[in-house]
Amino acid sequence: METSKEKISRNQTIERDVLSVSEKTGSWYWLLLFFTVCLTALGFIMWGNQILTGMGLAGKNNPVGWRFYITNFVFWVGIAHSGTLISAVLLLFRARFRSSFNRAAEAMTVFAVMTAGLFPLIHLGRAWKFYWLFPYQNQRLLWVNFKSPLIWDVFAVSTYFTVSVVFFYVGMIPDLAVARKHSLGIKKLFYSILSLGWQGTELQWKHYRWLCIFLAAFATPLVVSVHSVVSWDFAMSLIPGWHTTIFAPYFVSGAIFSGTAMVITLVVPMRKIFSLEKYITEDHFENIAKILIVTSLIVGYAYIVEPLLAIYSGNIFEKSQFYYRFFGEHWFAAGIMLTCNAILPATLFVKKLRRNIKYLFIMSIFVNIGMWLERYVIIVTSLSHDYDPYAWGTWFKPTYTELGITIGSFGLFFTLYLLFIKFLPILSISEIKEVSE
Amino acid sequence: MSQHFVFDEKNVFLNKLRELLKSGVPQKNISVITPYHVHEVDEILVSAPSKLRIFTFAGALLGGIAGFAFPIYTTLSWKINVGGKPVVSIPAFVIIAFELTILFGALATFFGFLLFSKLPVLKQIIDPVDYDKQFVILVKNGEK
Repeated sequence: METSKEKISRNQTIERDVLSVSEKTGSWYWLLLFFTVCLTALGFIMWGNQILTGMGLAGKNNPVGWRFYITNFVFWVGIAHSGTLISAVLLLFRARFRSSFNRAAEAMTVFAVMTAGLFPLIHLGRAWKFYWLFPYQNQRLLWVNFKSPLIWDVFAVSTYFTVSVVFFYVGMIPDLAVARKHSLGIKKLFYSILSLGWQGTELQWKHYRWLCIFLAAFATPLVVSVHSVVSWDFAMSLIPGWHTTIFAPYFVSGAIFSGTAMVITLVVPMRKIFSLEKYITEDHFENIAKILIVTSLIVGYAYIVEPLLAIYSGNIFEKSQFYYRFFGEHWFAAGIMLTCNAILPATLFVKKLRRNIKYLFIMSIFVNIGMWLERYVIIVTSLSHDYDPYAWGTWFKPTYTELGITIGSFGLFFTLYLLFIKFLPILSISEIKEVSE
Repeated sequence: MSQHFVFDEKNVFLNKLRELLKSGVPQKNISVITPYHVHEVDEILVSAPSKLRIFTFAGALLGGIAGFAFPIYTTLSWKINVGGKPVVSIPAFVIIAFELTILFGALATFFGFLLFSKLPVLKQIIDPVDYDKQFVILVKNGEK
């Protein structure tokens, strides 16, 4: 047993370690921020150019009307998923290792949904008409079509964004009160307002605990529903390669897989730079790596099932689609997808590799690449090889606008994340204290 | 008028809390401030379970009803044949209802929480009193 003095000093260290992060941001931080802001600006300039010049810059044609933008949308929504998984599902399962990851993961969720939310607008062209997606009665007394999966998606993603923001914010309230104590001037006012005057009375804690549990209980089915709805954007159509029943579970596990990889990509450098090794240990990473293995196996299983479904369906278009997917002009994308998502993560079965942080970091980047390509493969190969052979092979290469906006979306995501590191407590202070008792 | 005791250590704080209750101070006069959620406090200061769930349930119920009622109302107000589907396609509306159940439920829980825990506290925002990592017992109207 440790003495009470040690306990007190340890509690102080947690606060100091977490709150001092915003002061440890040296010149490297500003350089990095400058870099990501430049990428973001590139994306926005490209977008502005697309609006001014026309949608021809996006390279869309018939039948390939969904390309990089929708790929990015699905990718970023997927990234968002593991944040809620780590914070909500693991809270309900009382998995204690979550307390070291949850804040970073929740922040990632919010920023990823923000990034994802831009893509339908970019894709639609006239972005300023975005409110047409929401149900209101227009001049012709018409409402939106609630039978369309695209409207389900509007509801699912906006609900997901709202609930994620609430969850992220609620989790931070007690920590903002701690930050308020340790800051001065305008910063103190900022934290004071955000903390809503939280004091930590027994009444507040009592309701707070229930609030977290209820929000987690809502967020858990929400995670499953959001990516299922995203998958139905595809599966509800008749395009060969999309019209399958395994799409929902396949997409949900893929989303958690890619999101978990992104958590690793973000947390490994953060832990190293701010020396948070005490709070985010190898055991924590091992647990996260296990989530990677499980979801990788499900995704790998789906890769095997899909072609088999096509073969057994006896439908020539389905069969032709899967032949094209793996041996057609996009074979490289399908190959990288299989390698990065199903084959390489299997090495994590080796305990030594699972506990090797550097290896995990490299693996997580491979998984990010693989999962981005998975969405690309699903969307582009299916559309460029549908029922009409006359239209086959109409996909050539990405346009500069698409590439620029894609790079810009990564810039935006990392910019938001860097700002989060600077301004908000990156670990859940009160929860770590509670767990360490 | 009121007294307050500040402790650095959790066990000492819990002992004092038990002692105060034993010495006859009514529970409603005692409030405590802790840096994190201390489960023992819930056992010592027994109180009725949080009524937050009423908000959760009401919000979720309202969301579920709204999620069915709204699409049904709008499709009936101008009947359009979409791909030969029935005008009122319940399976399609289940998804809207599901999402709205969660949205309304979560928001109602959040606002219920603000109401019950009396947040935001303006005084505490303008001029915050922070005890940091200390445990505090506040006793109103003297010790008795």
